[in-house]
Amino acid sequence: MSDASVMEFRQASYAYPGMPGTYAVHEVSFSIARGEFVAVVGSNGAGKTTLSKLMNGLIKPDSGAVLVGSEDTATMSASSLARRVGMLFQNPDRQICQQSVVGEIAFTLSIRGDSPSSIDGRAREIAREYDLDPDADPFTLPRSQRQRLALASTVAGNPSILILDEPTNGLDGRSCRRIMERIRALHAAGTTVVAITHDMELAFDNAQRILAMSAGSLVADGSPESVFRNAAVLDEASLHAPQIVDLSERMAATGGAGSLLAHASSVADMMEAMRMAGLSNQGERNAR
Amino acid sequence: MIAIDEVGFTYAGSPRPALSKVSLDIPTGDFLGVVGPSESGKTTLACTIDGVVPHCIDGDFYGSVKVDDMDTFEVGLTDISRVVGTVFQDIDAQMVSTVVEDEILFGLENFGFSPDEIERRLDDALAMLHIADLRMRDIASLSGGQKQRVALAAVLALRPRVLVLDEPTGALDPSASRRVFDILRDLNKQGITIVVIEQDIGLLAAFARHLAVMNEGRLVLQGTTRDVLCNADVLESIGVSLPRVVDLSLAMRSGGFGSNQLCVSVDEAEELLKEVIA
Repeated sequence: MSDASVMEFRQASYAYPGMPGTYAVHEVSFSIARGEFVAVVGSNGAGKTTLSKLMNGLIKPDSGAVLVGSEDTATMSASSLARRVGMLFQNPDRQICQQSVVGEIAFTLSIRGDSPSSIDGRAREIAREYDLDPDADPFTLPRSQRQRLALASTVAGNPSILILDEPTNGLDGRSCRRIMERIRALHAAGTTVVAITHDMELAFDNAQRILAMSAGSLVADGSPESVFRNAAVLDEASLHAPQIVDLSERMAATGGAGSLLAHASSVADMMEAMRMAGLSNQGERNAR
Repeated sequence: MIAIDEVGFTYAGSPRPALSKVSLDIPTGDFLGVVGPSESGKTTLACTIDGVVPHCIDGDFYGSVKVDDMDTFEVGLTDISRVVGTVFQDIDAQMVSTVVEDEILFGLENFGFSPDEIERRLDDALAMLHIADLRMRDIASLSGGQKQRVALAAVLALRPRVLVLDEPTGALDPSASRRVFDILRDLNKQGITIVVIEQDIGLLAAFARHLAVMNEGRLVLQGTTRDVLCNADVLESIGVSLPRVVDLSLAMRSGGFGSNQLCVSVDEAEELLKEVIA
């Protein structure tokens, strides 16, 4: 494990009780550097959520090892791990356990060991930072606000590694953007982020590195460009490339002028490539 | 098939209406996508079609909803459920059994079909959703995609003429999501009217014939999928993100590249780009 590495999987395998030999995660190895933003992608049942549970020590590998910092999670207590690895679950309702927003955030602060006299004030401050009414009952809030609360209370523990299981699932476009702004800000401030997601646009737009899972195995580990432009990996992991990446690959395959669009990965890239290539527009053609 | 006329609904104890003066006609055989930000009234609208509002939820209801000329306010839920099948957002909340076969049998037995008819419909539903191999499986052991198909099979066994689905792909990966929509398209081709609430507007762009856009309890846009997606400013202003290929074709349109065609799929965008570089 290098000095900069904050997490490492060494040939880690795990099978759920009652399913011996059927590995949810099988001989997976990788390491994550401090401050990286990693997206884990793959189809339902590929092992992504199991991988996240191994990361935060909810489960321990049957064989191999998972290290957080330089410590083996098999020997770490749940509380010690929780201080370093924060986890945002897919469904905020399975995470929220207090009757008020401020109480939910205060719960994390008290576990972290903050002084009782400062907890309420700090919890209210965090609630307001996340645009939440501190005195609201979490269970009456819209889904998007419950998700923000779950993130706020996870982050209140000041973990150095943040695991996000489908952070935008069930959210509308605006709510997705808001929560991703928060996550990008945390990443910019130095938090290592691991996002498990079915949203390929989210993975491509935000992550520096993609881990692609299939049937419990890691089938690709690389930059978003290298993974989403690799047809064999997409096929093996049952993934779809983001729309513009897919489109640019198709245009590249046509050869000729289509190859001018080969590296476009956003709408702006596409438009720029068309302008730079001097492709005359239809209006001008009609005028001629 | 479904006539929603000036419908409003305020949940008991809520200070503001969940629906305000919503009017929408959904013709027989339509494939309608309902989009909008969180808390915009999408789920409440769906609940007015299957009668859950106002029959099961307290609140102030006005206007009328007619399904197959049945006024859902006047008739009971049992009568409505013979026409309208619903798949809820939270699949686990919908399941009443622990084994796949029992889940599908539950509705059939409650509707009082003969044993032969029940057996026939059970087999058909399992085959239609390609889950015959899951027949005796414990539901708790299934993946999200498998559970989704079991829930659909249990509803389809009752052979509804209208299928209402509330975010059916929420827990599914892109391939499984597309398979669910492929199934919905097949059912739609067989004549079943589909009403689907969905956050993934890319899927709706590719599959839905019409879109209804909700915001703050009101219907703010309705029309063919292409016509609605042309209203990028309105959609963005209420927090609905457009598929990237729609963004691209709108950018090309404003930049004068290619024809004025709005692309709703990668296939269509590919054709448009080929025109431009030709």
